[in-house]
Amino acid sequence: MQREKRSAILLLALAFILSVILAACSSGNNNAAGTASAQPSESSAPSASSQPSDSNAVDTSEEVKLKMILLGGKPVDYDLVFGELNKLLKEKINATVEVEFLDWADWNQKYPLKFAANEQFDLVYTANWAYYNDQSLKGGFLELTEDMLQKYAPKTWAAMPAVSWDQAKVNGKLYMVPNNNVEVTNKVVLYREDLRQKYNLPEINSLESYANYLKTVAQNEKGITAYGAKAADGWKWHELDQATLEHNNDFKVIDTRVPLAIKLDDATGKVFNIYDTPEFKELLAYYKDLADNGVWSKNVVNNKNDVWQDMKAGKVSSYAQNLGTVAANLAEARRDTPDQQFAIADIAPNSKKLAAISTQNGMAIHATSANPERALMLIDLLQNDKEIHDLTMYGIAGSHYNPEGDDKYTAGPNAVNYPAGISNWGWNSELNRQDASYPQEANDIFDGWQSKIYHYPLETYVFDDSNVKSEVANIGNVIIRYGIPLEYGLIKDTDKGVADLIEQLKAAGIDKVQQEMQSQIDAFLANQ
Amino acid sequence: MKRYGFWHDALKYRTLLLMLLPGVLFFMLFAYIPMAGVVLAFKQYTYDGGIFGSPWNGLDNFRFFFDSGSAWQVTRNTALYNIAFIIVNNVLEIAMAIFLFEIAGRWFRRVFQTLLFLPYFISWVVVGAIAYNLFSFDYGTINAVLKGLGMEPVDIYNTAAYWPVLLVVVSAWKAVGYGSIMYLAAITGIDTEMYEAAEIDGANIWQRITRITIPNLYPTIIILVLLAIGNIFRGDFGMFYNMVGNNGLLFASTDVIDTFVFRSLISSNDIGMSSAAGFYQSVLGFITILLANYAVRSYDKDRALF
Amino acid sequence: MSTQRTTRAGAGQTAGSAGRGRADKRLFQTIAYLLLSIVSLFCLIPFVLVLSASLTKESSIIENGYQLIPTLISTEAYSLLFKYPEQMLKAYGVTIGVTALGTAFGLFLTSMTAYVLARKDFKWRNGFSFFFFFTTLFSGGLVPWYLLIVNYLHLKDTFLILVLPLLFNVFYILVMKSFMSGIPEAIAESAKIDGAGDFLIYSRLIIPLSKPVLATIGLFIALGYWNDWYNAMLFISNDNLMPLQYYLYKMLGNMDGMRRAMIASGAVVNLQIPSESLKMAMTIVAIGPILFAYPFIQRFFVQGLTIGAVKG
Repeated sequence: MQREKRSAILLLALAFILSVILAACSSGNNNAAGTASAQPSESSAPSASSQPSDSNAVDTSEEVKLKMILLGGKPVDYDLVFGELNKLLKEKINATVEVEFLDWADWNQKYPLKFAANEQFDLVYTANWAYYNDQSLKGGFLELTEDMLQKYAPKTWAAMPAVSWDQAKVNGKLYMVPNNNVEVTNKVVLYREDLRQKYNLPEINSLESYANYLKTVAQNEKGITAYGAKAADGWKWHELDQATLEHNNDFKVIDTRVPLAIKLDDATGKVFNIYDTPEFKELLAYYKDLADNGVWSKNVVNNKNDVWQDMKAGKVSSYAQNLGTVAANLAEARRDTPDQQFAIADIAPNSKKLAAISTQNGMAIHATSANPERALMLIDLLQNDKEIHDLTMYGIAGSHYNPEGDDKYTAGPNAVNYPAGISNWGWNSELNRQDASYPQEANDIFDGWQSKIYHYPLETYVFDDSNVKSEVANIGNVIIRYGIPLEYGLIKDTDKGVADLIEQLKAAGIDKVQQEMQSQIDAFLANQ
Repeated sequence: MKRYGFWHDALKYRTLLLMLLPGVLFFMLFAYIPMAGVVLAFKQYTYDGGIFGSPWNGLDNFRFFFDSGSAWQVTRNTALYNIAFIIVNNVLEIAMAIFLFEIAGRWFRRVFQTLLFLPYFISWVVVGAIAYNLFSFDYGTINAVLKGLGMEPVDIYNTAAYWPVLLVVVSAWKAVGYGSIMYLAAITGIDTEMYEAAEIDGANIWQRITRITIPNLYPTIIILVLLAIGNIFRGDFGMFYNMVGNNGLLFASTDVIDTFVFRSLISSNDIGMSSAAGFYQSVLGFITILLANYAVRSYDKDRALF
Repeated sequence: MSTQRTTRAGAGQTAGSAGRGRADKRLFQTIAYLLLSIVSLFCLIPFVLVLSASLTKESSIIENGYQLIPTLISTEAYSLLFKYPEQMLKAYGVTIGVTALGTAFGLFLTSMTAYVLARKDFKWRNGFSFFFFFTTLFSGGLVPWYLLIVNYLHLKDTFLILVLPLLFNVFYILVMKSFMSGIPEAIAESAKIDGAGDFLIYSRLIIPLSKPVLATIGLFIALGYWNDWYNAMLFISNDNLMPLQYYLYKMLGNMDGMRRAMIASGAVVNLQIPSESLKMAMTIVAIGPILFAYPFIQRFFVQGLTIGAVKG
């Protein structure tokens, strides 16, 4: 028995040591492999940036194959469209491109692994919501210098507003070519115009008129949920909060993971906890009133149904979303369910309108790409070459889409085989076409907003969470647990709910995050 | 004899060792080598550094979990739920296996067994969707029935008290058909002569089950329970996430380590922090299984895991 | 018991017919039928809901929720799933191939390993048991695993990576070990005296005596392969190697994921996919073949041992 035990332990120890040695050996290989493949890029990157001084012509005599990673399912007509693209690329920059698609179902698991394993690829889609900052700080992307951009992406350099470049900088360094698309982030609501008329309600253009509409529907329309929310998604800072609290008070939440905001017109950039404001308490009273009147389902936090599908089915009478999405909903409803009339309303019409941050979509170059120059040239063509842009965004003219003039299109007979949704948004630009069925009123709203777009000093500031990662993680958890049920009026005693929420946030370290953010902002403003 | 020691034994067991070789190599390669990655729990992961070159950051990766104030609560929930699952599921599995074995109709036995197996195939995503359809306050089937009977509707998604029971029931519903197969196999392996002898002695069916069937199942019960105990600190993410989702009102009684960690890290995707959480679960599981195994060992050496 | 182990076909049957007519037996049977019927019903109803929803028009599900009998029948979800039938057939083919191969090898290796660990005269069995068990407690996580498979073993996009990771399962090894420990040692002893080697004892004596547990573990291994999408998700990008569950998982996940990402990226969300009925249809498509095969597999563990009569 004793002996048996001892030899068993010995054996185990042996096994463990062996595995550690093996692992250590393999790690040695790993590093060697890593540096070996990292070498070419390190040597090529500086040469790329030093070259412009010697000559202006870019040497493309050697044909290269580029590999690009995009998010989304592989389109049915991928071979057709990208075959066509490769013909053009061969001619223009003596390169061809091959795409690997990371499915929407699992991209967030695979995406970091591609970098960790240092797989060979040149270009990759990135975005602020796709861990752009994190990947940049971990060293996943190649830094893009001004020289490189001027030399290899001249059209993009010329077309992109400076503010877009600034927004894409992480600790002062640029790692992506952001998309170039003027967009407004303000949220609007979609509602049933026929119901509003049925009950003779005034035009919806404020919090009060909207509440009036919702409560009327809730009271009089059995079987219709007045407001649809898909809270089960876990969006912590949701569209209705934006439409109500933020827009109506001209607050701006800096990073949607933490409830810290600034006042848009505050030049000093003072950060405050948005849950600790009288405005939030007012909002809660507003929400509680709606909840108590049965405006949304009591089980709103477990609702997994697609809100728009529910609306189309006549089960929900309103929801909040960005303008582009509700406009597309409107076009769809006019085609499919003409018996229901929908309309779009801005419930904070006098608010300052904010342009979308450029990093919502973009393309980056892998840190160990062997051909960063050609990759950058490809991005330039994708974003700013009309022919290539049209091809990659909409497919083949006459088959996947029909061009209508220079800036509109209609769906072609094979539209389903080269669909959107493969994150070709990474090269959105002013060359984008608009769907011809896009509702006019949405365009009118957008045009009205354009003139009201407000630029503020912190527009290009991006929060760097590296020092407070644990706190940010915990704050997110607290918001889901204490904040969301409170907002949806599920907690009876609102005052106690707010007190709990703030107390829990403090315990999660909100003060530390606030200090960190404030000192970053102060430094940022001092540098301007 | 003793002096020959290791090499003598190795020679003696050469065939057995050879038979073990595929398994040993497999786990060396696919389990022990990548296991070196546990160091990530103590590192600030960067791509250029990789697993071994990234800088150490001490216990920083554990902070998000232990500073959250929920560490104890979610750890306790995870263990309690798993204990409940182990007890309830095993009892029901044994009961179902005995019933299936004892019923006379061969055809019925097959039909029942197939039906019991069905829930295993329904993914948690679909179970979650069906549950919402049943439990929803406004349109749920249960409340429609209650209202039809003139009773007060129940607000299941806003009442934390229902959930421990609900989750135990759902877990059993999904697992029992699958688990009972193991016990059925064990019962099938019992020597029929024992039953015949008991019958001749005039034992009734209850006595047969309690004196022959169940004692003969002890080894199977012990091994299955021991194996489950090693994972007592790992929550069934698919189940909890799809049933409870992001409903903060229920967290006090439903949040387990895995769902908590998932929510914490969803917006940062941090490799070090998720490794740290996994390491914490491993250590707790390791301690628990050592204790449980020791307990079984002191009761019966042959029945222990190792 | 130990030396005179006799097991016969349908142990329950034998006991059943002998006991017919006795009151306690009848009472017990009644209770058993009743309880099994109730439990089975609870297992069946959700399945019928799934089946019915898979055949219901999407708009009807959104309006009325799931129903036991579809009000508006539509095969839209199935036609969407089988839109590219050759893809679907290929996926079935890969899954069947992986399952067959994996189960055969897995069962052989598992039982062989378990047998050694069950041998009471094998001095190091506890050490090795622990060596195996330890791997279920600690793991290095996803990143080292991915690095190993992709950078060192170069198994990305190979058929092998669908088979290898599930070949051994510690739980099955230890469960089987426990079953085999119950087989009387005298059997092996007598064979040994006759000069049989360890491998021969395992393959000729122990395997036939372990049929019920082999059938059970075989079924579990097969189900593990059949339902696995995770390894394919990580390592397969070649359409020709895509197993069924991953193919289905991708279809659904792409829709949900795309919708979320489109909102986050500010893109216009305009998708019309019957995701509710699709989810249900996928369940049916994935279970279908198993439900057909199950009654045939069942015979192995319902009947139990037929040729194990070994007298000492």
